[in-house]
Amino acid sequence: MSRAFRSLTSALAISAAALGAAACAESAETGGAASGSGTAAGDIKIGAVLDITGAGASLGVPERQTLEMLAEKVNADGGVNGRKIRLLVEDNQSTEDGAAKAASKLLSTENVDILLGASRTGPSLAMRPLAEQAKTPMISLAANQKIVDGSTWVFKTAQNDRVVLERIVDDLKAQGLKKVAVARDASGFGEGVPEMLAEIGKPAGIEVVHVEKFAPDATDFTAQMVNIRNAKPDATLIWGIPPAASLAQVSYERLGPKVPVYQSHGIGNQVFLDTAKDSADGLRAALGRMLVADQLAADDPQKEVVTQFISDYKAKYNQNPSTFAGHAYDGFMIAIESLKKAGTDPNRLRDAIEQTSDWPGISGVFTMTPEDHSGLTKEALVMVTVDSGKWKVLEGAS
Amino acid sequence: MSDFLQLVFSGLALGAVYGLVALGFVAIFSVREIVNLVQGEYAALAGLSAISAVTAGVPLLLAVVLVVPLVVLVSVVIERLAIRPVHRMTPLVSIILTLGISTALKAVMLLVWGPEAHRLPEFPGRDLVIGGVSIQAQELWILGTAAVVGYAVVWFYEHTGAGKALRACAEQPIAARLVGISPRTATMVAFAIAGLVGAVAGVVSSPIYLSSWNHGLTLGLKGFVAATLGGLVSFRVAMLGGLFLGVLESLVAGYGATGYRDAVAFVVLLLVLLVRPQGLALKASGVRV
Repeated sequence: MSRAFRSLTSALAISAAALGAAACAESAETGGAASGSGTAAGDIKIGAVLDITGAGASLGVPERQTLEMLAEKVNADGGVNGRKIRLLVEDNQSTEDGAAKAASKLLSTENVDILLGASRTGPSLAMRPLAEQAKTPMISLAANQKIVDGSTWVFKTAQNDRVVLERIVDDLKAQGLKKVAVARDASGFGEGVPEMLAEIGKPAGIEVVHVEKFAPDATDFTAQMVNIRNAKPDATLIWGIPPAASLAQVSYERLGPKVPVYQSHGIGNQVFLDTAKDSADGLRAALGRMLVADQLAADDPQKEVVTQFISDYKAKYNQNPSTFAGHAYDGFMIAIESLKKAGTDPNRLRDAIEQTSDWPGISGVFTMTPEDHSGLTKEALVMVTVDSGKWKVLEGAS
Repeated sequence: MSDFLQLVFSGLALGAVYGLVALGFVAIFSVREIVNLVQGEYAALAGLSAISAVTAGVPLLLAVVLVVPLVVLVSVVIERLAIRPVHRMTPLVSIILTLGISTALKAVMLLVWGPEAHRLPEFPGRDLVIGGVSIQAQELWILGTAAVVGYAVVWFYEHTGAGKALRACAEQPIAARLVGISPRTATMVAFAIAGLVGAVAGVVSSPIYLSSWNHGLTLGLKGFVAATLGGLVSFRVAMLGGLFLGVLESLVAGYGATGYRDAVAFVVLLLVLLVRPQGLALKASGVRV
C-alpha cells in the first residue's frame, strides 16, 4: 500500500507545484529600455504594462514592438523638449494580479511620469486604482468602457466596446437582422457586452436571444456552438480575441447556425487570419481603418499617419502591424504630444491629455473631453469582411 | 439527441489527446517510479516544431514524421542528462527534477516561437456530417492515431520480450539485473516511448487545438489525471480515462456552464485520490498492468 500512498502524495504535490510553475515560468520577459541612453535625471520615464505572455500575447507583443520602435524614433529625433525618453516595459502575464504588481513597481519604485497599458480590460482595471491613487496619468490600450468610466487620471485609446456595438447594431439594422446570439469572452473584455448590445439595439427591435461564454484560453467550442445553433438566431456575435476568437470562428463555421457572424474589434491582427484560415471568409467586423489602409480614400484624415506607421513598422519588424500595435501607437504618441505641451508635471500632463482634440491617430481621430477619456466615436470604425485571407471594406455598409 | 452525440464525439477527440499524453506517464511510471512532468511539453514541442517545418516549406506529413523522432531524441537526452545521474530516485525527486526541466523547456519554446499560439495545417481528408453530427477529418485522424499508437504501446509492453523486460525492472530491479536486464537501458526505452506518444499527441492535435509554448501544462495535467485513473501503471485504463475525461468535460460545458470545463479534471483527480488512490484498475494487492 505504501506505493499507492506515495502516488497519492506525489499527485497532490504535482498539481500544486505545476500550478505554481504556471505563474513563475512566464515571468521571463523584462526590461526593454529602447533608448540605450544613460539614466540621466532629465530622462522622461514612460512605464508600460503589457500582456506579453499568456492569453493576451497576440496583443501585447506587437504593442511592445511598437513602443520600442517609437521610443527609439523619438529619441533619435532629439527626444521631448531635449529630454530623452526612457521606456520601461513590464509583462503582466495576462493576469490581473500581474498587472497590479507591475504597475505598483513602475509607479512607486521607478516613479514613472506616465503609465501605459494594459493590453486587455481585466489587467487595465486592476491598474486603474493604482494610477488614480498615485495621481499619475495612465493610458490603457484596452477596450472596455469601464476602464475610464468616471476616471480622473485614466485614459484609453482602443475604441470603446460601446462604439463598436453601435457600429454593429447599425449594420444589423441595415441587414434586417433582429435576433442575435452572443458568444463572449468570459474575462473583462466580454463583460457586459450582451447587456450593452441589448440596450443599444432595443430601439431598432434587436434583441439578444442567447449568451454563451468562453475562457480566453479555451480550445474547444463545440458546446457553445451547439447551444447557439439551438437558439436559432438571425445573426451571431463572437466577442473575443485570438486565438480563442479564431477557434470560435472555425467551430462556428462547422457547427453553428448558417447565419451571418459578427466579430468584435478584438480580431484585428494577422494572428486571427492565420489561425482562423478560410473559416474567416465572409465574417463581418467593426474594425479600425488601419487594417484597410490601402483601401482608404486619399482625403481621409488618417491616411497619412496610418500609411507612415505601417511602412515604419514593416521596415523594422518585417510584418504588418496589428490594430493593437495601433492602440499602442496612439497611447504613446498622445503621451508624447502631451509631454511636449505640458512637461512632466502630473497635473498639467493630465490636463494636456484631456485636451487632445482632433488628433488623427491609428485607431481614429481622437477628441478627449473631461467626460470622455476614450476620445473615439463610431466614426472611427468601418465594417470590414475577410475575403480569401485579406481584410476588405464592406461596400455600402453603414 | 444530435447535440448529445456532437458533444460526445468532440469530447472523444479531445479525450484521445489526453489519453495519448496519459500513456506517456504510464510508459515511464510502470518501468521506474518516475513521474515525468515534461510529458505535456513533448506535445507542445512537437506541434511547434512541425509548424516551423511546414512554414519552412516541408510537406505536412513529412514534417509530422520528422518531428516525432526529434522529440523522442529530446526525451532520451533528458533521461541521459537529468534522470540517469540521480542515484536515489524517488517519485518526489523525479517530480521536482522534471518540473525544473519542464520550466526550462517552456522558456526555450517561448524564446524560439514567441508567446503566440500557432496552428498546424489540417491533415488531408474531408469533414463529414453523419446524423447531424459534424465530424472533422482531423478528429478522425486523432482517434485513429490514438487507437494505433495506444494498441502498439500495449502490445509492446505486454507481448514482446523487451516489453516484459521493462516491466520486470519495475517489479524486481535487482532480480531483473541478475537475469541480464539493464535498468538503465529500460529507463531510456521508457523515455523514448513517452517522447513518442507525447509527440504524436502534439502533432495530431495542433490543427484543432493549436500549439503554444505554455500549452503543455494543461495538457500534461489532464493527461496525468487520466493516468491516475489507472494508478499510473495501466495503459488501457489511462487511455480510457483520457477519453472519459474528454467526454465529461464536453458534456459539462454543453449542459452545465462552460466555465466549469477545466475544473472537471481536478474534481475527478480529487475523487480518485480520495476513493481509490491505487487507480481503478488495480486490486489492492497491487498487481501491475
